[in-house]
Amino acid sequence: MTGTDLVNSLAGLLIFTSLLVIEARRPSRAALLYAVQSGVLVSIFIVLAGLTHSTQLYLWSASSFVTKVVLVPAILYGAFRRFDAETPLPSMLRVAAVVVLAAAVVVGCSLLVAPIKLPAAAAFRPVLTVSLAHFFLGIACIVTQRNIIKQIFGYCLMENGSHLTLALLANQAPELVEIGIATDAVFAVVIFTVIATRIQRTLNSLDSNDLMALKG
Amino acid sequence: MILIEALLLTLLATSLAAFAARWLGSWTKRTVETVHLAGVTLALVLTGAIIEKVLRHETLFALDGWLFVDALGAIFAGLVAVVGFLSGIYSVGYLRYDFDKGDVSANRLSTYYGFFSLFLFAMMAAVLANNLVLMWVAIEATTLSSVFLVGFYGSRRSLEAAWKYVVICTVGVALGLYGTVLVFASANAVMAQPSDAILWTEVINHAKSLDPATIAVAFVFVLVGFGTKAELFPMHAWVPDALSQAPSPASAMLSGALANCAMLVIVRHAAIAAGTLGPHFPQTLLLVFGVLSLVAGSIFIAAQRDVKRLLAYSSVENMGLIALGFGLGGPLGVGAALLHTINHGLAKTMLFCGSGNIAIKYGTCDTGVVKGMLRLAPLSGAMLLLGFLALGGIPPFNVFLSEFMTVAAGVKAGHPWLMVVCLVFLTIVLASFALVISGAILGHAPEGVAKGDPSVLTLLPLAVLLGLMLLIGLQVPGPVAKLITDATETVLGTAPAAAALEGK
Repeated sequence: MTGTDLVNSLAGLLIFTSLLVIEARRPSRAALLYAVQSGVLVSIFIVLAGLTHSTQLYLWSASSFVTKVVLVPAILYGAFRRFDAETPLPSMLRVAAVVVLAAAVVVGCSLLVAPIKLPAAAAFRPVLTVSLAHFFLGIACIVTQRNIIKQIFGYCLMENGSHLTLALLANQAPELVEIGIATDAVFAVVIFTVIATRIQRTLNSLDSNDLMALKG
Repeated sequence: MILIEALLLTLLATSLAAFAARWLGSWTKRTVETVHLAGVTLALVLTGAIIEKVLRHETLFALDGWLFVDALGAIFAGLVAVVGFLSGIYSVGYLRYDFDKGDVSANRLSTYYGFFSLFLFAMMAAVLANNLVLMWVAIEATTLSSVFLVGFYGSRRSLEAAWKYVVICTVGVALGLYGTVLVFASANAVMAQPSDAILWTEVINHAKSLDPATIAVAFVFVLVGFGTKAELFPMHAWVPDALSQAPSPASAMLSGALANCAMLVIVRHAAIAAGTLGPHFPQTLLLVFGVLSLVAGSIFIAAQRDVKRLLAYSSVENMGLIALGFGLGGPLGVGAALLHTINHGLAKTMLFCGSGNIAIKYGTCDTGVVKGMLRLAPLSGAMLLLGFLALGGIPPFNVFLSEFMTVAAGVKAGHPWLMVVCLVFLTIVLASFALVISGAILGHAPEGVAKGDPSVLTLLPLAVLLGLMLLIGLQVPGPVAKLITDATETVLGTAPAAAALEGK
């Protein structure tokens, strides 16, 4: 197996772990699965770094390990573990429908990526497709899940997708750029978590259907 | 350039000092108000000094070219500073009522003013950014710093608004990141240094060499992504909820300043896209989103009972008008869009602050309850009356001028029927405002509501804004006209890029 094949296979694993995060019934398990997925993402960064001889990507791997494999899952696990015992809210889509949706998203993204002719993406077009599809799967999770904690995980998936795109197309950007984006992402998760906790305290509910008072 | 760093550091330091003031016990309220007022005043002065240099044909750079100010950026930085200063003063008057009623504690005031300055810092960073990814980071930071302002009151409704705001805007702006990364990757493929391929002033000079298909896809991502923050239809779903639930001066900042920051990012990317693909592609997309926003915003305005929700939909309509101006293109269309950016920003800041006076008097902004503001609070009522007429496009106020210029640009560009459609919907908006004026302002005042205007701090910003709106309506001040002329050349690509001017 060549390095490029390895990257493409790991990218496929990324989609699979996404589906596991989306379908996890307990928040603590979703946080752990998200950590696993971020581990896959970091390993893609390391392989890409080896293939492209990019020092920047090795640095990204290290910072992503700290933020995505350790910090963000720990925040989510700590904040939402206490809701494990609650009956999971039903998704708007069945598992089979989510799988079909994921396949459709991948096909759609491959069409979107087709006209893009960039030297940085030429060798890794399937990975670029997967990174974009991963991003849209995150959006799909936000839209289809009623549980607002699941919507936060949707954001995390989306963010992993965009980070992979960055690693493919912008790994030569100054390191400060990646730090800025990663910092924004960590703050976003913290803020999502604070607001979700306040909503749960005020409404005694994690159901997004209960957030429908403002209309018109 | 030291002025740019000083401006950003002032806002950041003000924010940190406001947050830290919560540990001063009984001194918290007085200290946080003093720090806040000093911070927004100094920021206004520093922005004025920056604009003065830009007017002398200087393009200022800072932090190794990551930040810069040209005429285009100066217009938006000036607007952010003015809106921040006046809504900052208004905040003090407005929140004193909440504090005196016991709705807000001194610690909560510290939180509000801390996030207020942080929000201003993020907006200023967005309009001063030359680094394309920094633009994205700053726009994302505007969401994260303002979400606690939206959910400030902690009620069920404000938390709902805050949740929708942070979810929709974070998703939207993430799409913008894709566009940004595609532009960088495309520029990096043809430019020698990656550190240059990330700077707008450098990329714009190489726009002709970029891959057209990639830039086309990138611009769609940018328009949809940053269009979410620019309050364009159909990505506007967060707007009425966030703007109606935030404290009124925060709503003024969201509408009068934030939406324009996102629009500036779109315009900078549109200039790159026009350089690569020709002006037709970005202008057509801006035209379509502009007209859709104008039409949808106008229809929603007619259905509103709450003054702040009505003003929120008016933002969608007016941001549509601005996008329409950029979409029509040419010196007249772009000039009209830039002038309308200023005019709408001032008018909406004035009216959202005015809606705060309504909330102080009636405890609600529901037009079913709010009646006879002119009789109960004559000064506030009179200024709201004039403000609504101004926003509706009645001369001699400023909004009339930029709306007239936009319609003239549309006719000149060969879209007379489209302009007729736009005028029909602008008339619907004016009629909706007339209904608000006839009931909420001129109607019979309910019994049991105390007569008298709120404090001078809630009146002064309204008076200043109204004065500025009248001034621009009668004669656009020379420095503003010069900035608009220079910025129009930058947008249309007829001016040499800033880097070339500086010999970078």
